[in-house]
Amino acid sequence: MGLIVEHISKSFAQFRAVDDLSMQVKEGSIFGFLGANGAGKTTTMRMILDILRPDSGQITWDGKNVNEIPRNMLGYLPEERGLYPKMRVDEQLLFLAQLNGLSKQAAKTALDEWLERFQINANRKKKIEELSKGNQQKVQFLATILHDPEILVMDEPFSGLDPVNANVLKEAFLEMHRRGKTIIFSTHQLEQVEELCQDVVIINKGQSVVQGNVQEIKRQHGRNVIRLKLDDDLEALWLDTLQGVRVDKRRQDYIEMHMEVGFNPNRIVEAALQHNARISLFELVEPSLTDIFIEAVGKIAQPDAPATSNTLHVSTTVSA
Amino acid sequence: MLKNSTVMPEAPEQPQQSTVIARSGSAANQNTLRNIGLITGREYKNRVMQRSFIISSIIILILIVIGAFVPTVITYFTANSNSQTKIAVVNNAGPIAGLSNDALTQYLQTNLNGSSASGGIPTGQSTSGKPRFALTAGTDANTLQQQVKNAKLDILLVMDRGTDQNVRFTYYTNTSSTIDADAAQIQTIASQLNFLDKSSRLGLTAAQTSSLFVQPAFTVVHTAQNQDTRSDGARLAGYFVAFAGVILIFMSVFVYGMTVAVGVAEEKGSRIMEILVNAATPFQLLVGKIVGIGAAGLTQMTCFVLAGIGAFLLQAPLLTALLGHPSGGLSVDIASVSVTLLLTLLLYFILGFSLYATLFAALGALVKRQDEVQNAVQPLTMLFMVGYIASFISISTPNATWIRVMSFIPFWTPTIMLMRIGAGTVEWWEVPLSVVIMIVAIFACALLAARIYRFGILLYGQRPGLRQLLRMARAK
Repeated sequence: MGLIVEHISKSFAQFRAVDDLSMQVKEGSIFGFLGANGAGKTTTMRMILDILRPDSGQITWDGKNVNEIPRNMLGYLPEERGLYPKMRVDEQLLFLAQLNGLSKQAAKTALDEWLERFQINANRKKKIEELSKGNQQKVQFLATILHDPEILVMDEPFSGLDPVNANVLKEAFLEMHRRGKTIIFSTHQLEQVEELCQDVVIINKGQSVVQGNVQEIKRQHGRNVIRLKLDDDLEALWLDTLQGVRVDKRRQDYIEMHMEVGFNPNRIVEAALQHNARISLFELVEPSLTDIFIEAVGKIAQPDAPATSNTLHVSTTVSA
Repeated sequence: MLKNSTVMPEAPEQPQQSTVIARSGSAANQNTLRNIGLITGREYKNRVMQRSFIISSIIILILIVIGAFVPTVITYFTANSNSQTKIAVVNNAGPIAGLSNDALTQYLQTNLNGSSASGGIPTGQSTSGKPRFALTAGTDANTLQQQVKNAKLDILLVMDRGTDQNVRFTYYTNTSSTIDADAAQIQTIASQLNFLDKSSRLGLTAAQTSSLFVQPAFTVVHTAQNQDTRSDGARLAGYFVAFAGVILIFMSVFVYGMTVAVGVAEEKGSRIMEILVNAATPFQLLVGKIVGIGAAGLTQMTCFVLAGIGAFLLQAPLLTALLGHPSGGLSVDIASVSVTLLLTLLLYFILGFSLYATLFAALGALVKRQDEVQNAVQPLTMLFMVGYIASFISISTPNATWIRVMSFIPFWTPTIMLMRIGAGTVEWWEVPLSVVIMIVAIFACALLAARIYRFGILLYGQRPGLRQLLRMARAK
């Protein structure tokens, strides 16, 4: 059954934050929740957590409305740091775990286990404000999972983490996945989605634009992207005259182009040979999620949306 | 908007007034008591362990103890540092009241240093046993006058008789008259001497004269309806405790109320609210916070009050030990302060804090950043201030109708009613009635505050106006 979101809408005064959004998160899956800044991700997550209630539509978990399921089944990692800055790591986590229903003893056991796994045992007596950003994020993550919730709702858990710490967190994700937890998380780092998620939804202006299994979405968008590198002719301006091909970008390492449906990629090789070029790279690529994202969202770019930049990483620094 | 977006990246999601925050009923209610207990425990521990809290407590404790010791120390030092006042007596009047020169000097010496005539002015032997006044008989008034001028001599007293045979006293001193405490004392002795002299000239015996000085029977009967049967010391102690209590209540309710407001704003600002609200209901958070901070405040208050009372109780034995006799003058009889008055003080503190803390919490939940708290709570501070000031006015007119009416308005009861109790003008039913009114008001305010709080804690947009507040309060 899992989590089913049916036609939810939510307005704040005149502003429609979420507009008739439906999606389904399978129990035990890792679900990627994508969208530009201001697309309605946080609002949707808050509605899943029953912190906000939708104006219309409903959200159910295993057929039960989310406002009826016990609180401690849910774990929430807010987008911004949500911890007491002046409280010690261990006291803080024990307090939150107990508030979420664990006994003191069970909370201690879980705490010891996870502090060890996250390699922050040495920091357990420190105050949150004394920790590095990466370690703070780890503690925030622990605050979300320590009470062993079934559903994890995480708003940009990877923001502000260096590659090493991101990897530790990724491992923890997979560990929770192995334990059968359902994980919903939003991110701007689309490689992580491709790596971790079975299903995704991309929303824009509160509406779902692309939705489904990551592999299927990629397949749907077809293998219509070609990368070409010619050693002696980096520009390959003759490509512009070729019918059925549209050059997207000319990079230092390759040229990327789209081809129309039914176009035979061999014709590019033939044309290159006719121009006496030396081919060092020719590749038919699946579109990355980044491309799909930009295609879906970028057309209707928001002022601070990531669509204008080549990589989406930039946007995380904007929001940080 | 620009400022907001740094705090809230998803800028268009700034919730406006129509937000319906959930979490009113439902699953989180299951563990209400457990959750309140946990939140209270965290608040209490967090508050009490804070270095600033500990340091300020210690400083105030020291100040209280020092304050209690100051009068004793002053009494001790004035008693000890009394240098002898040297007085030269030149008698040009012959025998006065049958006393000739040596006997006269003796008489003055005894009466000035004894505890006889003079009322409130501290007299008597200093601990070293040195007499306060040293008298010598002199003859040459002019030389002695010069000595007074040169400050070799403190006082020169010249006595002679006028044409009517009455004794005339001339008092020479170098001390400015405003700070000369000796003049009054000597004047008292002088008129006594004059009286004796006249009566002896009239032929009365010494025994007859002294019978003239016996006080008449004089009984005071109070006919006011509230008969204050307390002794003067007890009455003064009542005033004193009420006075200190009003200040204590005002300071503590304000300080701890402010702590509540700042605490709420802090949780909102640090976004921990979003996690907390997933685990507990806003009502649990509100109650836990208020009880936790209130308990921390009560702990601090109890320390202060106990230290204060302890230090005061030490003063009488201490003075006795230092001076060999209890201090003169009017003492504040702290021991006589009834336990009832202290319990009333405690009760009013708890009620007053509960009432204001709920409102402080609601206002704290409405601000966007912590530094706005001060402004947001201003109306509440003003409201409280009115009662505080009125309570001091009520000292002089504790029975005025407007004071009595104000003392039943829950926002002002803790200060004004307490002062009236101290003044001893309260009917037996007035305190219980005011307590009932306060409890009703607390429930009303808590309900209102819980609703505003519920909306406010996740509201990061503009501060809502009065109309939005009303709408929040009305929402289910």
